[in-house]
Amino acid sequence: MNKETNENILEVRNVIKSFKETLVLNGLSFKVQGGETFGLLGPNGAGKTTTMRMIMNILRPDSGEIYFNGTPRNKLEGVHFGYLPEERGLYPRARVIDVLVYFGTLNNMTSRKAEVEAIRYLDRLGIIEYTDARINELSKGIQQKIQFIAAFLHDPEVLILDEPFTGLDPINQTVLLEILEEYKKKNKILIISTHMMDQAEKICDHICLINQAQVVIDGPVDAIRKQFREDAYYIELEGNYPILSELDNVQILEEGKNSYKFVLKRGAISLADLLKKVEEKARIRRFEVFEPSLHDIFIRLIQEQAEEKA
Amino acid sequence: MKNLFRVARWEFVTRIKSRSFLFNTFVSPFLFAAVIMLPLFIFNMQPQISTKLIGIIDLSGLHIKDELQRELNRSYRLNNRSSEYMVMTVAVGNSPTYKEMLNKYHEIRNRLDSITTVYNQIKEQRMQYYKNRRIPNRDYVLRSSYEKLQNARDEKELIQIELSRFKTALDSVYKREAQRMADSLLYTDVLNAYLVFQPDFAKTGVVEFHTKNPGDLREIDRFEKILHTIIIKKRILDDQIPRSKIQKWFRPIHIKRYQLLPQGDQEWNFYVQFYGPLIGVFLLFMAIFTAGGYVFSSVLLEKSNRVIEVLLSYVNSSQLMGGKILGLGSLGLVQIFSWIVITALLVASGLLPASKISYLNMQNALYFVIYFSLGFLFYGSIFVTIGSVSASEYDAQQINQLLRTIAIFPVLLSLLVLANPNAPLIRALCYIPFLTPSFMIMRIPLSSVPITFDIYATIILMVVSIIVMIWISGRVFRMSTLMIGKKPTAREIWSWIKIK
Repeated sequence: MNKETNENILEVRNVIKSFKETLVLNGLSFKVQGGETFGLLGPNGAGKTTTMRMIMNILRPDSGEIYFNGTPRNKLEGVHFGYLPEERGLYPRARVIDVLVYFGTLNNMTSRKAEVEAIRYLDRLGIIEYTDARINELSKGIQQKIQFIAAFLHDPEVLILDEPFTGLDPINQTVLLEILEEYKKKNKILIISTHMMDQAEKICDHICLINQAQVVIDGPVDAIRKQFREDAYYIELEGNYPILSELDNVQILEEGKNSYKFVLKRGAISLADLLKKVEEKARIRRFEVFEPSLHDIFIRLIQEQAEEKA
Repeated sequence: MKNLFRVARWEFVTRIKSRSFLFNTFVSPFLFAAVIMLPLFIFNMQPQISTKLIGIIDLSGLHIKDELQRELNRSYRLNNRSSEYMVMTVAVGNSPTYKEMLNKYHEIRNRLDSITTVYNQIKEQRMQYYKNRRIPNRDYVLRSSYEKLQNARDEKELIQIELSRFKTALDSVYKREAQRMADSLLYTDVLNAYLVFQPDFAKTGVVEFHTKNPGDLREIDRFEKILHTIIIKKRILDDQIPRSKIQKWFRPIHIKRYQLLPQGDQEWNFYVQFYGPLIGVFLLFMAIFTAGGYVFSSVLLEKSNRVIEVLLSYVNSSQLMGGKILGLGSLGLVQIFSWIVITALLVASGLLPASKISYLNMQNALYFVIYFSLGFLFYGSIFVTIGSVSASEYDAQQINQLLRTIAIFPVLLSLLVLANPNAPLIRALCYIPFLTPSFMIMRIPLSSVPITFDIYATIILMVVSIIVMIWISGRVFRMSTLMIGKKPTAREIWSWIKIK
């Protein structure tokens, strides 16, 4: 695999997977490009972990294919992939460096190379002093960092992280984000599954929302947000004036303490006129075009789907 | 394939340094040997400390004491050649009741003696009268002396009856008083035991043996043997056979046991033949279950802490399972080779007399390695299955315990194997794969004829069983490792085995 080319493409094509009578994934398809952070989102039980396990070749699809750069996944070695599962664990009595070297060598690294890289990352994450410590002597946070290192020590082409930020303090979240940013710059594929929509919004370029075994939405984050833009505005005033509710040509969507989310009724009033009218009565602290958050889109889509089913 | 060796290396390296492995390899075997040898050692040491005092209550009047002492001296001596047993008659001279009765007995005896004297005198006198025909009134004299003689005889007979009755009473008092005395001596540990000889013991063959420890089988066995000799001697003496002949006939007998082996006869020693293979089975069991137990705990650990998910994303399930079995199997082999080296060192230093222990040879070492490998692969693959389907460590340990019990079962039958290693039952049990290694390891050193057929047949059986078990465990392992906190049902496991 040439790491310098832009060819990294992971493609999931029409994958179906069921466990006994339960259909977990029904015709899942998506495509991830190198240099892209891909967010796999969905409520609990949507099939995110199953999808990741299939990309990692731990599970096999009942039908459909997974390709990486045009080669079927089951023909490829695990060395191109790195994985941080949601439920984490390490060998409690082993030494940190031994575990990291073991995982490194399982991915075709030489012991020496694995050791050097492990020490480099331990240093980078500020836990170099624990190199020779036993895992069970360490705090949970440090153990989690060690698992990160184990996942990307061998510099995989595709890195899959299941709920990577849970349990990390803000400082370490920032350090991790830096590392991931660097990784992305090398034109590699980063797949993240998370429930934390604000995190996903910050770091994902591309998301795929799955629910009840099916893709609900798939596309670049910006495009999705654009798609769900409601031409709504957000205004925050100083002091409490029920001014907006007094205007006939405005439809209020949400009302906060001193803030409103609203849309203009078609052809009733221009935005400039509205702002002028408001400024006459109160000072505007904040005004912006309202962009729906992923969180909102997520909830809306899931609710819509539930209503359709009902 | 490379990853299989990497997994194997990891398993091997992390375990070989563990304290439990070092303990099981270098401490446990000696501990076990010590535990089974210790009672034997104490048993052999104990009697050598001092001479034992044996009391005797002899109601037969046959002076058994000297005879018993002579026989005991002949057979049992301490290391310093002094007698191991000292026999003493239990005295009752201080008992007032007995003293009184004894006085009366002497009095009657004296009376009997004096009447006997009188009777004899009369008899003598009558002889004179018969011979001397010139005595005046000879007829009258003869008649009157005859009356005297008759009176004396009647009186003598009466006293004899009285004496005999009194003797029975005296004997019974003597027995009662002597036994009371002997019991108190036994109680205060002056006597180790005492024997009671009834007047007719030679006829009935019954001798009472009183002791605090009737469970001391060795002591009982010794006295039984000695008394047997004494009683039979008495019976033969009663049949008028000269004593010198009897002495010759009753010279002690000692059986030396030899076992016919392919390389020739070898002197047979119970301890060597019994404890040796027993220690062998224990070592085999320990090796299989140390390594098998590691396979088991390794699968269980990786499953419970979810490392398995990371591992399975880099290596496939066959590589992971194969790596574990290879790595931990090699660990077991290291353990066995350590024992072979230790044994060789003990032989070289002369602590183990290899020349007297026929089964300590390279061929049997090879069989040990072979049966370990087979047993380990068989139990190891079962452990993989159990480890991967168990929802919790508690569940898994229960099954582990059950397997251990099955595997150690042959030890319970070790005495049967010792009596006849090639008995049909034992041979049949050898062909149950769970028991094969343990039984074969006991049979190989004990059998006097080569059991080549059984060796080859059981090896083939084990290989087939292992292939089946590994096939099953591979399937179950692959399917069950990703299930968390949920125990699969028997039907689910069966469907995994059947699945293509």
